[in-house]
Amino acid sequence: MIDWWDLALRLGIVLVAFLVLPLLVGQLEHKAMAHMQARVGPMYAGGFHGWAQLVADGVKFVQKEDVVPAAADRSVFKLAPAVALLPYLVVLVAIPIAPDGAASSLDVSLFFVLAVMSVGVLGSLMAGWSSANKYSLLGGLRVAAQLVSYELPFVLAAVSVAMAAGSLSLTGIVAAWNPWWLLWQLPAMVVFFVAGLAELQRPPFDMPVADAEIIFGPYTEYTGIRFALFLLAEYAGIVVLASLTTVLFLGGWQGPWSDQLGWLWTLLKTAVVSFLVIWLRVAYPRMREDQLQTLAWKGLVPLVLFQLVITTVGVVAL
Amino acid sequence: MSFGKGLLTGLKVTLRNLTRRSVTAHYPDALPELPPRSRGVIALMEENCTVCMLCARECPAWCIYIDSHKETAPPATPGGRERSRNMLDQFDIDFSLCMYCSICVEVCPFDALYWSPEFEYAETDIRNLTHDKSRLQEWMWTVPPPPALDPGALPPKEIATAEKAAARLAAPSDATAAETAAPKDPPTKPAHRAPREDQP
Amino acid sequence: MTLVEVLFVLLGAMALGSAVLVAVSNNLVHCALWLVVTLGALAGCYLLLAAEFLAWVQVLIYLGAVVVLLLFALMLTRAPTGTVADLTSSNRILAALTAAAAAGVLIVSFAAGFGGTRIQIDSGDIGNAEALGSTLFGSWVLGFEVLSVLLLAALIGAIVLSRRQERD
Repeated sequence: MIDWWDLALRLGIVLVAFLVLPLLVGQLEHKAMAHMQARVGPMYAGGFHGWAQLVADGVKFVQKEDVVPAAADRSVFKLAPAVALLPYLVVLVAIPIAPDGAASSLDVSLFFVLAVMSVGVLGSLMAGWSSANKYSLLGGLRVAAQLVSYELPFVLAAVSVAMAAGSLSLTGIVAAWNPWWLLWQLPAMVVFFVAGLAELQRPPFDMPVADAEIIFGPYTEYTGIRFALFLLAEYAGIVVLASLTTVLFLGGWQGPWSDQLGWLWTLLKTAVVSFLVIWLRVAYPRMREDQLQTLAWKGLVPLVLFQLVITTVGVVAL
Repeated sequence: MSFGKGLLTGLKVTLRNLTRRSVTAHYPDALPELPPRSRGVIALMEENCTVCMLCARECPAWCIYIDSHKETAPPATPGGRERSRNMLDQFDIDFSLCMYCSICVEVCPFDALYWSPEFEYAETDIRNLTHDKSRLQEWMWTVPPPPALDPGALPPKEIATAEKAAARLAAPSDATAAETAAPKDPPTKPAHRAPREDQP
Repeated sequence: MTLVEVLFVLLGAMALGSAVLVAVSNNLVHCALWLVVTLGALAGCYLLLAAEFLAWVQVLIYLGAVVVLLLFALMLTRAPTGTVADLTSSNRILAALTAAAAAGVLIVSFAAGFGGTRIQIDSGDIGNAEALGSTLFGSWVLGFEVLSVLLLAALIGAIVLSRRQERD
């Protein structure tokens, strides 16, 4: 039967990773973005180069008043941050960091991950609608429009890898991975990463929270800890996207000495992809709404369909 | 192929910045290196002020408040005229109004006002930004010496006058002549400038 | 009753209750959110019946895409928050009767068709992707193709409708 202690240990590790990794990514964003802009970023909190800045931020957010607008739909408004954050925690459970390193081994973990990730966006929609604020509503609309466009290439790119590996389980996909895939599945990787960025509403796809136009989109009315939960969801989303890209396209734990250091390889590749997410944020300006839709429907979808053809040919012919 | 070139350039620029030292000035930890003649705060050398009110009148922001009274000094020589002197009672500069235009320093005919590069005098109460005479006098300690002359420049007028006076004092080598000569040629400005030019 | 059965009954009750709320709630967006609960509970039922793949596809397609589209449309057309007074249709009794009749027909036909069938949940190869795929593209391929033609027709219909509005 199931070893309960082992399961509890694995879930505990996932919980710790969920609490720590997003903060690490957030801190990396603070510092890397600052230096890319010739600044230094936080320098005081915690003493050494502001390492505790996000902890300090968290303490500050907890102390703040939790304001719910008078016209808001109270229950939906209060529930939204949890709906936005929890899916990412659930997704982390299924991500394998080593051959035997997933907290739960599902047969169809790829679909599990994609399905649960797609629930997270409901939180933004609920927030946008229940705030009773026109900017929030516009932000919610943009979230929905963006999600509907990018969900398709996102899932299709993942399907391409599943076809290549002949498996719907993340562990199986990594086991079947081969360095040659870096070339073979390159279009799918690009599409997956770009569409994932768009689903997370990360710059340059942050039209839903475009601060120059609609303040902070769906999160405009949020304060205190609920606001912090949305921010945490964004960083957790980066971790999940980076680890998924690692697992699906970059070979997960595969690398030299992967028997002993497999988990390290996974974490390392995840960190590199997270850095890329931050790098893109700094380098590129925000895309306009019509550019977003054009990129999705005229760029990514044809590209990923082309990739599917290539993958099919590869699987059938080789 | 021009497509994607801009994207790559963006990545390149940000990455290059990442590898370079940032330009941020770590101000409270490291004090800034200010250029000479920085306009930080206005210092007052009270001894030089004759209460001519030029600074107060020229101030575009009307932030200088001066008050004085007259004192009469006994005649220097018996039977002479009594001398009256303006005594400074109040000299306030309201730095919440001051716009650091430097007009007061420029117009002062007796070099009573100087710029000091000190800038850390923020206050939690706006009324405390009005510095009175004694506080303005304190800033004199922070006034830097004037920058060295350019090579080949003519010596300043004050120094020329002072040197001439000194030469005149030394030439007759007659103590009585010197004593009479000195008051006749009152070197007001050089005498007052002297402490500043002594500084290296 | 085993734990699985208890969970199944609970999820079923949840699906049913939230489905009723979808129909009777006076707030359109609440209806859509209750629909999320209904579909999620259904996905849970699928999971308990060992139809893993179906469950996650249900979440991915219905929760992740269809409900989002629904909410998108609601936000576009019914922007103000709060309840709408005239949401209840005048022929609600007729609608309830129709729904009850449809449910009756479905229940009776399923009971008649699969009433005595027992599946072995623990064997593990009923609900996985491979079994589902071979069934779908083997014995049910005709239905699958008919459905895809239906979707294609809907797609073309949508394009035609939007084009016509553009010309006016």
